[in-house]
Amino acid sequence: MKFILSRLGFYLLAFVTAVTINFFLPRMMPGDPIKSFLGRLAMNGGQITPETISALEALYGYSTSTPLWQQFFQYLGSVLAGDWGMSTRFFQPVFEVLGRGMLWTLLLVGTYLIVSYTLTTLLGIYVAWKRGTWTDSVITVGSVVVSSIPSVVMALVMYFIFASNLGWFPTSYAYHPSLDPAFSGEFIGSVAYHLVLPLLCMVALGMGNVMGMRSNMINQLGEDFIVMGWAKGVRDRKVMLHYGARNAILPMITSFAMSVGAIFGGSLIIEIIFNYPGLGQVMFQAMLARDYPLIQGYLLIMTMMVLGANFIADCLLFVLDPRLRTQLD
Amino acid sequence: MSKLVEVKNLCVDYITFNGRVRAVSDVSFHINQGEILGLAGESGCGKSTIAYSLMRLHRPPALISEGSIEFEGRDVLAMDDDQLREFRWKETSMVFQSAMNCLNPVKTIEYQFWDIFDAHGLVSSRDESIEKAKELLRIVDIPTERLFDYPHQFSGGMRQRVVIAMALALKPKLLIMDEPTTALDVVVQREILQKVYQLKEQFGFSILFITHDLSLMVELCDRIGIMYSGKLVELAPAKQILSQPLHPYAHGLGDSFPTLHGELQEMKGIPGTPLDLQNVPPGCRFAPRCFKATAACREQEPQLLQANEQRWVACLEPLKIASQAQQPEPLTQSHSEPSETTCAEAL
Repeated sequence: MKFILSRLGFYLLAFVTAVTINFFLPRMMPGDPIKSFLGRLAMNGGQITPETISALEALYGYSTSTPLWQQFFQYLGSVLAGDWGMSTRFFQPVFEVLGRGMLWTLLLVGTYLIVSYTLTTLLGIYVAWKRGTWTDSVITVGSVVVSSIPSVVMALVMYFIFASNLGWFPTSYAYHPSLDPAFSGEFIGSVAYHLVLPLLCMVALGMGNVMGMRSNMINQLGEDFIVMGWAKGVRDRKVMLHYGARNAILPMITSFAMSVGAIFGGSLIIEIIFNYPGLGQVMFQAMLARDYPLIQGYLLIMTMMVLGANFIADCLLFVLDPRLRTQLD
Repeated sequence: MSKLVEVKNLCVDYITFNGRVRAVSDVSFHINQGEILGLAGESGCGKSTIAYSLMRLHRPPALISEGSIEFEGRDVLAMDDDQLREFRWKETSMVFQSAMNCLNPVKTIEYQFWDIFDAHGLVSSRDESIEKAKELLRIVDIPTERLFDYPHQFSGGMRQRVVIAMALALKPKLLIMDEPTTALDVVVQREILQKVYQLKEQFGFSILFITHDLSLMVELCDRIGIMYSGKLVELAPAKQILSQPLHPYAHGLGDSFPTLHGELQEMKGIPGTPLDLQNVPPGCRFAPRCFKATAACREQEPQLLQANEQRWVACLEPLKIASQAQQPEPLTQSHSEPSETTCAEAL
C-alpha cells in the first residue's frame, strides 16, 4: 500500500512536470496563435477591431495581456476540469474530438499489447527452451525479418493484399457503417472483424520481442537454480515455466512499459493506412492544419497513457518480484 | 563395506569449435556406504564435472562419452528420462558449488521444498510438505517461521544450510557436496561442515566432498582422490595422502597448504600452470611440472594402479613409502585395458 501511494505520488509529479513543459514549450517559441491569426486576417484584407481580438482571445482561452504565470495556472485549472480548449481544425472542444478517436485507438493498442506480449513471450520461452533446433532458427530469424519491415510498408502491403485484392478484410472503418453502435453480437462481431487486419499488422511489427524474451530466458536457463531444479527431479515443464520463464518475464514487464509510448505513435500510421477511425486520422489532420490545442491535448493523453502503463508495470513487478517488495517495504 | 557407487573409466567431453575437449579422462573410483570420499584438485581439473556426471546433469555441449556409473548395481547411464528423474535427489542429491545462486529467487523456500516432495509424489498435501520442510529446517538450525521467506532474505550461510536441508529432504544415499563452503568465511564453513558430519553419522549416507581446500578435506574425509587435468592421479586414505604421498603432484599439493594443526612449515607451490586440455601432449599430463619426470614420463601415459590394499596411484616414478614398498598392480584389469585404447583413440 505504501508502495502504491509512493508510486502514485511519483507519477503525479511526473504528470505535473509534463503538463508544465507542455504549457511552456509552445509559449517559448516566437509568435503566438492570436498574432498569427490576426496577421493572416490582415493580409487577406480583413477588418481588425477590438471585438475581433477579444473574440479570438475567448476562442483560444487566453489573453495576450495576462502574465504568463497567470496563464499557467489558468491552464492547469482547465486541464484538470477537462477544458482543453477548442480545436482550430474541427471547431469543437479538444476533449470531444480526442474522445471520439480515443476509444478506437485504445481498443487497437490495448488488444495489440495483450495479443503481442502473450504471443511473443510464449514464443520466446519456447524457442529458448528449444534453442539450437530447427524450430528455434525458423522462429527467431522469421520474427527478426518480419519486425524489421518498416511499418508503412508492412501496412500498405497487407492492406493491398488482404483488404484490397483478396477482399478478406474491410478496407476502412471500425465497424460496418450500416450498423448502429449497440451491445449486440452483430456489432461486436463487426468491430472484431474490422480490427483483425490492423491488429495483425501491428502484431507482426512487434514480433521483435520474441528475441528479447528468448535472450532473457536463455540467460535464466544458465542459472544454477535451473540445474538444481533438474537435480531435484522436477519435471521439465515445471522447470521451464516456474524456474526459467517466471524469472525471465520480469525484464519483459519493464520493456512493456517503456514501449507503450512508441506503440501509440506507431498505431497512428496503421490507423491512417487502414482508415481506422482512431486518433491517427484526427492527429494527421490536426498536424496538417497546425491545430496546436489538439496536438497539445494529444500530448497530454499520451503522457497519461505512458505514465499509466508504467504504473501498471510497477505494480506488476511489485507483485511478481519478491526482491523488489522487500527493498521497498 | 559394500560399494554404493562404482564409477569405471568415466570420460566426459565438451564439444567446442576446436573439436572435443576431454574434461574428465578415464576416471575410476568407488564410494562405499557411509563413506566420505573427497575429490581435490586445481580449478578446471574436472572435479565438478564428475559430480555432475553422477547425477547425469550434463547438458550440451558436455556429454559423458565413455565409461559406466553404477549406483547400487543400477546402471545410471542407461536410465531413461523418467527413471533418471526419480533417481535424482531420491538416491543422490547435491549441494551445489554456488548455493548462493541455486535457489529460485522468485519462489519461497516452502515452495522449493514442496517442489521436491511433489516431483517424487511423496506427499499427499501441501500441509504435509510444510510439516516435513519445517522438520528439515529444524535439523539445520533454521527457525521454522523462516520457511515462507524468499531466498534473498537469508544470509549466505543460512542459504547454504537451507540448501543442505533440501538436499536431505528425501534421505538420499549419496550426498554430493561441490565446494559447498567456498563462498563462506571459515567460522561459518566449520559450523556447516560439522553439521553435515553429524547428519551423516545420524542418517548414514555417503558423501562425495569436492573442494580445493586440502586441509579441510583431510579432516573430514575417509579417503581422498587427487585429480590433475581430468585424470585421477592418486586415491588414498585421507590421513596418508599428505603425509605419505605417492604421486609427485599430491606431494606438491601437500607442500602448498598449511596444516591446521602442528608447526608452520615453509610452503612451496607447484611451478607451472595446468595443462591446456585442448592440446594434450603424449605421456604423463603432470610431467611438464613434475620434479621427478623422466624421458619415459613424456612418452608413456601412466595408468591408475593399485599400490597396496588401500592406495592407487597413476605414476611411473611414484614416491617411495618407507614401509610399504609393494609392486603396483592394475586396479581393474578387465576394464582399464580396453577402454584405455578407446580413450586414447578419441584423443
